[in-house]
Amino acid sequence: MPLDAGDAGDVQVTGPRSRGERLLDVRDLRVEFRTRDGVARAVNGVSWAVDAGETLAVLGESGSGKSVTAQAVMGILDVPPGRITGGEVLFKGRDLLRMKEDERRRIRGAEMAMIFQDALSSLNPVVPVGDQLGEMFVVHRGMSRKDARARAVELMDRVRIPAARQRVGDYPHQFSGGMRQRIMIAMALALEPALIIADEPTTALDVTVQAQVMDLLAELRREYRMGLVLITHDLGVVADVADRIAVMYAGRIVESAPVHDLYRAPAHPYTRGLLDSIPRLDRKGHALHAIKGLPPNLMDIPPGCAFHPRCPAARDVCRTDVPPPHPVDEHRGSACHFWRECLHD
Amino acid sequence: MPELEPEGEIVAPGLTALPLDQAPPGAPAPVAGTTGRPRSLWSDAWRDLRRNPVFLASSLIILFLLFISLWPSAITWESPLKCDLAHAQEGSGPGHPFGYDGQGCDVYTRTVYGARTSVTVGVLATLGVAVLGSVLGGLAGFFGGAGDAVLSRITDVFFAIPVVLGGLVLLSVVTGDTVWPVIGFMVLLGWPQISRIARGSVITAKQHDYVQAARALGASSSRILLRHIAPNAVAPVIVVATIALGTYIALEATLSYLGVGLKPPTVSWGIDISAASPYVRNAPHALLWPSGALALTVLAFIMLGDAIRDALDPKLR
Repeated sequence: MPLDAGDAGDVQVTGPRSRGERLLDVRDLRVEFRTRDGVARAVNGVSWAVDAGETLAVLGESGSGKSVTAQAVMGILDVPPGRITGGEVLFKGRDLLRMKEDERRRIRGAEMAMIFQDALSSLNPVVPVGDQLGEMFVVHRGMSRKDARARAVELMDRVRIPAARQRVGDYPHQFSGGMRQRIMIAMALALEPALIIADEPTTALDVTVQAQVMDLLAELRREYRMGLVLITHDLGVVADVADRIAVMYAGRIVESAPVHDLYRAPAHPYTRGLLDSIPRLDRKGHALHAIKGLPPNLMDIPPGCAFHPRCPAARDVCRTDVPPPHPVDEHRGSACHFWRECLHD
Repeated sequence: MPELEPEGEIVAPGLTALPLDQAPPGAPAPVAGTTGRPRSLWSDAWRDLRRNPVFLASSLIILFLLFISLWPSAITWESPLKCDLAHAQEGSGPGHPFGYDGQGCDVYTRTVYGARTSVTVGVLATLGVAVLGSVLGGLAGFFGGAGDAVLSRITDVFFAIPVVLGGLVLLSVVTGDTVWPVIGFMVLLGWPQISRIARGSVITAKQHDYVQAARALGASSSRILLRHIAPNAVAPVIVVATIALGTYIALEATLSYLGVGLKPPTVSWGIDISAASPYVRNAPHALLWPSGALALTVLAFIMLGDAIRDALDPKLR
């Protein structure tokens, strides 16, 4: 492993109020996509960890590699064109990447589950929702269809779908967007997994429904003491539910910190840019702040710090040297050469 | 709440103590159908089909064909093999509405009995093609890789074989008077068409998010293929197979006409058309009735396929 690779391995931090055993430990994960036009390096040495009962938010723009990381962790990356070129994914201490596919499949759904962005396209249009929910029990627990359907009704009740018993035979398109996402959540929760990865679970929903679904997810997480990895680009969603945040840029973690520390004083110019670009009611009439420029092309990531072309504080060293992960304090890290200045700005 | 729902089996440990849904206690017993009948692709398609005159007409014809294939003696009263040269080429008369052919056989009886051969060949060839083609194409589309590449090249090779020429070459070496060589030949040359369509629709279905979601929740490959992909990929196969059924019936007649398909004493429209064509000036009825039956049958299956395609394509709704 090249030393200049900027492995965020050391940035990896444990929550200040670590709640339990380490559930998932992603170490120096690297994923690339081979396409006709070249190799897109989507994930370049990402490390983060989640403990039982903890919520980690992985924050980043489109194309920052956050969803690809999640797919690699779940083992649902499309291979080819995708390829995991390095790293470890330790789930309860065992490396998922070295497991046999059959063994991994039994973990998926039962011990770790995933919620997707668009519940309409994530549910099979020709199978009633009750059967899709019940399938979790049929596949993993060998239950009969009838018993599985009874459990499906309970789960639909559990995620507060009104009139669950009458609606268990309905098809996905007969539900509203929020209800469909509740069904996805119910499927993920069905076997009470230790870890849930939610990939932009509320992005496709109306704002009012977003809040309800997030609240439901947070409540269920508390109740089942699950670990939750929340993948999002929405800083507003993160603030309410996350314990810690890992900010991704161009396939790397650029900053990792407990949520309140990060909001109070970001230690990376990119994080600062993200926070400044949130529209604020008390700044009405002022121009909205935006990070200038565009995210880098993953086939041609700039040398040095990938953020330097867009960084207001970039200096010569940023164009040549990949910033190593600097420990800011025992719970946070920043991959910026000038994190101190950023922090005290 | 449970006492309202006698068949419920609420046994989830850790789930029972939850505050149940917001339905007020004492709410009226569930009324089935409050949210409308479940609508799926298939039920929508069926609703469309029932109102489609093309579908109704073609299925009436096909039902009638199936009926006379199973029980030809229900509407005939002679044996199709009972021929009397004394009546050769005679026109219609009492008890013989379609007249006699060149061998003095009753054209009406032979036309009715010919349906059985045509339907047998068409249905069995289509079944064989659909099963072989969708299994091979579906697996190739699902797993991809080297197997897919090899299969795609093999289908290209089969597409390059001209059907009639292939039939003349392959079937001329076969002896015997059963329908099996003809059916086997049709399956051999027909499966690549279905295979290509099945492969394409499996590849499309595979990319849906719900397939990835099923995978993320621990479904195995076979389960994903059978439960999530197949039902969403089967529609184009059904449409093409229905239309192909008509063309197989026509192909059987073509091959029989050319003398390499079915052979007498099998009763087949193709054989009768072939036998009647030399006398078309003297006894046109002996050619027209089996030809008309053949054309109507092929048309019925093609119309049925068209109607099903329209009904299964949500974009046309």
